[in-house]
Parts: sequence; structure tokens; C-alpha cells
Amino acid sequence: MQRANNRAWLAVAPVVLVVAFTAIAPLMTVVNYSVQDIFDVHTRLFVGLDWYRETLRDPRFLEALARQLGFSALVLALEIPLGIWIARCMPLQGRMTVAFLIVLAVPLLIPWNVVGVIWQIFARPDIGLLGAAVTALGVSYNYTSSALDAWITLALMDMWHWTSLVALLCFAGLAAIPPAYYQAAELDGASRWQVFRHVELPHLKSVLTIAVLLRLMDSLMIYTEPFVLTGGGPGASTTFLSQYLTSMAVGQFDLGPAAAFSVLYFLLILLLCWLFYTSVMKRGDEAA
Amino acid sequence: MASIRISGLHHRYEPDAAPVLEGVDLELGDGEAHAILGGSGAGKTTLLHLLAGLLHPSAGTIEFDGREVTGASPAERHVAQVFQFPVLYPALDVAGNLGFPLVNRGWSAAAVRRRVGEVAELLSIAALLTRKPKRLSLFEKQLTAIGRALVRPDVALVLLDEPLTAVEPAAKWRLRQALKAVQDELGLTMIYVTHDQTEALTFAERITLLHHGKVLQTGSPEALYQQPAHEAVARFIGSPGMNLVDGEVSAGSIRCNGQVLGTTAAADGRCLLGFRPEWAAVGDRGVPVTVRTTRALGTLSGVAAGLVTAELDGKVIHVQQRLDGLVGNQARLLVDPSRILLYRDGWLVNDATG
Repeated sequence: MQRANNRAWLAVAPVVLVVAFTAIAPLMTVVNYSVQDIFDVHTRLFVGLDWYRETLRDPRFLEALARQLGFSALVLALEIPLGIWIARCMPLQGRMTVAFLIVLAVPLLIPWNVVGVIWQIFARPDIGLLGAAVTALGVSYNYTSSALDAWITLALMDMWHWTSLVALLCFAGLAAIPPAYYQAAELDGASRWQVFRHVELPHLKSVLTIAVLLRLMDSLMIYTEPFVLTGGGPGASTTFLSQYLTSMAVGQFDLGPAAAFSVLYFLLILLLCWLFYTSVMKRGDEAA
Repeated sequence: MASIRISGLHHRYEPDAAPVLEGVDLELGDGEAHAILGGSGAGKTTLLHLLAGLLHPSAGTIEFDGREVTGASPAERHVAQVFQFPVLYPALDVAGNLGFPLVNRGWSAAAVRRRVGEVAELLSIAALLTRKPKRLSLFEKQLTAIGRALVRPDVALVLLDEPLTAVEPAAKWRLRQALKAVQDELGLTMIYVTHDQTEALTFAERITLLHHGKVLQTGSPEALYQQPAHEAVARFIGSPGMNLVDGEVSAGSIRCNGQVLGTTAAADGRCLLGFRPEWAAVGDRGVPVTVRTTRALGTLSGVAAGLVTAELDGKVIHVQQRLDGLVGNQARLLVDPSRILLYRDGWLVNDATG
């Protein structure tokens, strides 16, 4: 038997070191906080999993979690079909394509807090273009006092900000389909729906997987825009996980519970993304 | 199945662009296996798109069984096509792919199943019916695509656009056999587009040679070999292609470098003399040539035979012959006088009958 030469691992050492300093160590610090009760730099108490138990029993955490999942499901259900639809409406080549791509890219370039500010003004019932217009139509609308209006405004803002991403990814996927597939479908007498179902959708599978994953992760972590737009209100109706977490860690200095919360939050995102990804991949294998 | 007639077909993609097809005329009998042969840019794929109805011509007409279909949609024409690479619907299994055109035409599930079974049997892919395209080899994928083209019993015309391009070399022969067998059995009108003359010569009853958007010749494989109507056909068909050397006709004699090679009724003047490698011999009589190489390919009546590459007036010629008696590199070339073809402005001007 030949002895394996393991010296190649040394080449990986610098990367391991950098990752350790920037990711593993800070994460472990949070884990460390989450199992202790810290009073000051010298006074601390090991509490085991108490913070986790407490967090999971905290009704405000559970409500924020439910709102978070509801919000993610809502924006995904709106943005994915809308993104596909926009991509399908775009011309595949020509000068108009460039114009479309630029317009679609613009919302993605705007900083998140600016998006929040834009919508805060845009949706104001007194001076905002959208808010005032809706009010003028006789619809009672006020995102600062009605929870439903706040949700509608948030969902619209998220769509405004992120549907472009889905549309751009889908456009790239559609542009990569060889024309022969469309020609074959036409000769086979396929309807428009069948062309979508049997030609376009299967070819979009990998970009859609990426789009859903990105939107899922990002929407689960949403913080800046609702913070600027509604501040989590009215009441706690738009307080999502990250906002509740921030109020605990920064506002109240509850480092232990906040750390436990963070670890749970991180694991939740990881779990949901893993569930989605493996289910897509498994379906792909079965289909193969 | 249908007979096809194409008359004066012109096509350009943009109103001010160069024409891709210029006055193509073509007639196909019902159930004919026809090959369209040509290099890249000859307009082969455009012609197929026009036949399928995916494009509509700038001028000219297309008739199926005497009925004009020039402006008809693909669905109205009942045309099927096999593409260069296997085009399958990824989410459907083989049976679903085969049945797709039937389902779209409102066939009942039982009728679709029966017909798909027949086609799968014909192509020996019955064992693959429940597989998704992902789990098929390229050969099996293309066979499925061919099956989908054959599945409609009322298909008027099957178009094959270089269908062997993407298949592994080892499977090319098998796929060609399968196609030929299907054609023989079903008697479908098929048009096979290729740039590979071997594929065209083995598949088709008749071949059309397309060159820069024009039909240079339509005929049996043998006619294209023996009597190429245009020097481009002469060069394209055969391996190596036809020898073409400068010569002239004066007072009924065919001359090359001052030597008389034969007689003709063609008018006097300069022309190109064409002859196949096996219609000539290098020896001690005729036009002086310089022998460059000889390559033995086997024996002929017990004597070494092969390919002689020589130079005549700076032009390379190939001659297939016995290799004995060739000494040194100065020799002379004789061509069977009854088979010399004369080309003027590209076109054949005599009809040598060999």
C-alpha cells in the first residue's frame, strides 16, 4: 500500500485561517454567549440551554417567527411568478432588450435603507404619490395605522425591490434555450401553455432554484426596509425576526437570549434552504 | 405522405440582406427519400424551415400534393422535423415525448398508447418508454426524437436536419440503418439535409446539391458522380473529388498542354477538363505530369494498385490505378477519351457517356 501524501492540505491552511477568524470564531462567540448569563466582563454564569428554552417559549418570538414565515411565503408566491412573466414578455434580442435589462437592474442597485425611505414617502397618504392617489380614489389607506395596509405596502415594496432579480435570472435561463425547442414544439402542435410547461419551465429549473433560494434567504433576513418604513408597526404587526432580535441585543443588551435567538435564527434559515434544495434535487433525480 | 413541389423559391432574412435562397426548384415524389447536400451557408437549414412553415419565403411557392401551402402554418402542413441535436421535452418520459404530437391533436389516451407502442416497436425503443430523457444516451435520445417525427400517421413530410451530427461516431451507422429501415417500411417522404456526402449517398434515392442558395443539380447518386452538372458538384462529390485541369477545344479536339486527349462536338474555346481518378492513368503516353506521391491501397488483379498524386500545370490531380511501371517522377497522363467532361463558366457543356 502506498502512503498517501497529505502535504497538499498545507496549501489550504491560509484559507482555513481566514475563515476561522472571520466566520468560525465570531459564530462560536455567539454560541458561547448563548449558553451563559453575562452580567459584566468578569461575572458570568453557565446556564446551558436555558436561553434556548426561554426563546422558544417567548410568545413574541413565536409571533415574529410566524410573521416572518408568512412574509417570506407571500413575497415568494408573488415575485417568482411575476418574475417569470416579466422575463417571458421581454424581447430576446435587440435594443429594447438592453433597455429592459437596465430598467430591471436599477432597483437592485438602490441601497436598502433608501428603498425604505422612497416607499415611506411614496406611500404616505398625505403627500406620497401612491398613498395620496389611493386615498383620492376613496380607499381608506394608511400604512402607519392599519396592519393590513402596512403588510400590503411592505409586500409591494419587496416586489418593487426584488422581482427584478427573479426576472433577470429567468431571462438568462430563457435566452439559453436553443430555438430548435420552440420550433419542435410548433411542429408538434403545442399550445402556448404547453410551450411554457414543457419547453420553458424545464429549462428554467436551475435558475429558478437559485432565484427561490436567494429570495428565501433574503426575505427571511429582511430588516432594513421594514425598519425604515414601518419601524415594525403598527403595534408589532410588521416586526420580523431580525427586528425583534436587534431590539433584544442592541436595545436591551440581553446578550444571552439574543445569542440563543441568533443561533436559532441561523439554523432556521439553514434548515429551510436545505429542505428546499434537497427536495428540488431529489425530485430531479426521480425525474431522471 | 405527400409529393412536394417547390418552384422559384427565394428567401432573404431582411429586405436589404443578401438572399439565402435564389430560385430553388425541386420536385419530390410521394414516399421519396431525398437528400439535400451542401456546405455550410448553402441555405440548407433555411430551405427546411421554409418547408416546415417555420419561415415563409420572400418569393416562390411550395405545394404538397398539388395543394399550395406556401403561407400555411406548420400545424396545417403536417410536417415533422428531426434536429441536429436531440430535441426532447425534459419533463416527459419517452412515451410522453413520442405521444406529444398526438395528444396535441386530441387523440384519445388509448389510441396514443397504441400508436406510441407501434412506433417504439419499430425503432426498438419499447424498453425505454418509461425513461426520462436525462437517462438516455445520445443515440437513444435521437432515436426518440426520430420516433416523435414518425408518430403521426398523417405526416406529409419528415425533415431531417443533419440528424447524425450529435450522435457518437460508433452509433452513427446504427442510427442511419434505423432511419433507412423506417423509410423503407413506412414509405415516408423524407428530406435529409447533410454536408456529408456518404450519408447522402447511402440514404437517398435522389440528391439535390445546394450551393450558395442555388440548386446545382438534382439526380440519382450515380448521376451526380458520373455526370456532375456543375464543377462545384464535381468537386463536392467523390473522395477525392473530380480532377479539373485547364484545357481547350479546337476544331472538335480536346487539348491539354498541346496534347489531344479526345474529341467532342462542343464549341471551340477554353474550358476545364474534368475526370474522375479512376477514369485516367499515368504512364508513358499523353500529357506530361510530375508525380508527387503514390499510395498503395491494395492490389488489383494481383498487381499493387493505389492512388497517384501528380501535378499538371501546377494543379494537383489524383489518379487511381496500378502502381507497377511507375519509375521516376516524370510521367504522362492519359484520360479515357469518352469520359472527359468539359466545364465552361462552371457548367457542363458536353454529355460524355461513359
